[in-house]
Amino acid sequence: MADKLTQLQDAVDQLANQFVASLYYVHKHHDLKTLGASDKIREEKKDEAAQREPDIWDKVEPVSADEFKAGQRELAQDLIMKEQQIELLISVLPGLDNSEMDQERMIRQLEDELKVAEEKRREAVKEKEEVLARLEGVIRSVKRP
Amino acid sequence: MDDPQPPNPLAAAFPAPPPFWQSFTPENIERISKLRASQNPTKREENGLPPRILDLPPELRFLQPPEPPEEGVYRCFGDVFNLKDPLPTLQEMSIQQLYTPPPSPSSHVDRALILKRLAKSLLLNFLELTGIMATNPEQYEEKVQDLRTLFINFHHLLNEYRPHQARESLILMMQDQLEKSRRETEGIREVKEKVEGVIEGLGSVKLAEFGNGKLGKGKVDIVAEGRDVWETLEKEFS
Repeated sequence: MADKLTQLQDAVDQLANQFVASLYYVHKHHDLKTLGASDKIREEKKDEAAQREPDIWDKVEPVSADEFKAGQRELAQDLIMKEQQIELLISVLPGLDNSEMDQERMIRQLEDELKVAEEKRREAVKEKEEVLARLEGVIRSVKRP
Repeated sequence: MDDPQPPNPLAAAFPAPPPFWQSFTPENIERISKLRASQNPTKREENGLPPRILDLPPELRFLQPPEPPEEGVYRCFGDVFNLKDPLPTLQEMSIQQLYTPPPSPSSHVDRALILKRLAKSLLLNFLELTGIMATNPEQYEEKVQDLRTLFINFHHLLNEYRPHQARESLILMMQDQLEKSRRETEGIREVKEKVEGVIEGLGSVKLAEFGNGKLGKGKVDIVAEGRDVWETLEKEFS
């Protein structure tokens, strides 16, 4: 999994995509209305539509009012959800309360501790080998009574 | 470079490593560290590297890191990169800065607050944009620009935060390693104590059985016990 910052940046980019997708949905599926008595919704003939360049922003495909409302609602909920996700990610960014100086001090301290621990580990390995040698000696001496 | 090329490097799926990797043998590394120590161990060059040694035997020459390029740029896979690659400020990108930068780079709580505000502004501006699109679609441009500025500001703040996160990750990794090292030491100590106990036990068993005259059977027991110990050891040390 990516680190928190990258997750956050991805989430923001997704939010931008959702903005576009929401506008696109509204644009594409809204209902067609007549503004005056003389207006008439143009019926596009099949072969006419096929001849024209396909343009996704161009053609409106109305859906029923209920479906349209449900779609809008879902998109709006998704937007809010994404925004809350972003806020959550912001509040869990690593080390918000640590200043740079704190960090440096901690790194130095850890470095020293690591050195000590490594030294101890080496000592332990050495002792282990000594004990191993002693044990081997004991067992050999037992084998030849 | 006049080293012999590996056979048909163009046909390989991945390019072969540069030939000088073969110079990095343990002996060579030890030799160069001795040479460095004999020179002047405390002196350091500006970039933190050990001082350069001029008259090296040819097999050690590649163990010395080359000078960084003087012009400050280098090429990699056909692209030019800068040695120093600072994050351009918003002013340099001629983007309006929507927040007052934190007074010092150390106060990150403000940063989270600004980020949250920006996120909320994004939503609000989108709402305004949809309103504009519904009533007067011609005027979309200004609002879209606002949204763009908000997004860029958001990303910029996050990118400024990256070095901080890198240090934070380093701290976590070091803590992990420390923990691991301590656990290992602890484990080795425990096994050592166990084995010492076994050795002492063996000594007393031997004495007791010598006393009882059951040497033959005792020997088998001890050998069996020794085998147990070996098995435990193998398990613990593997």
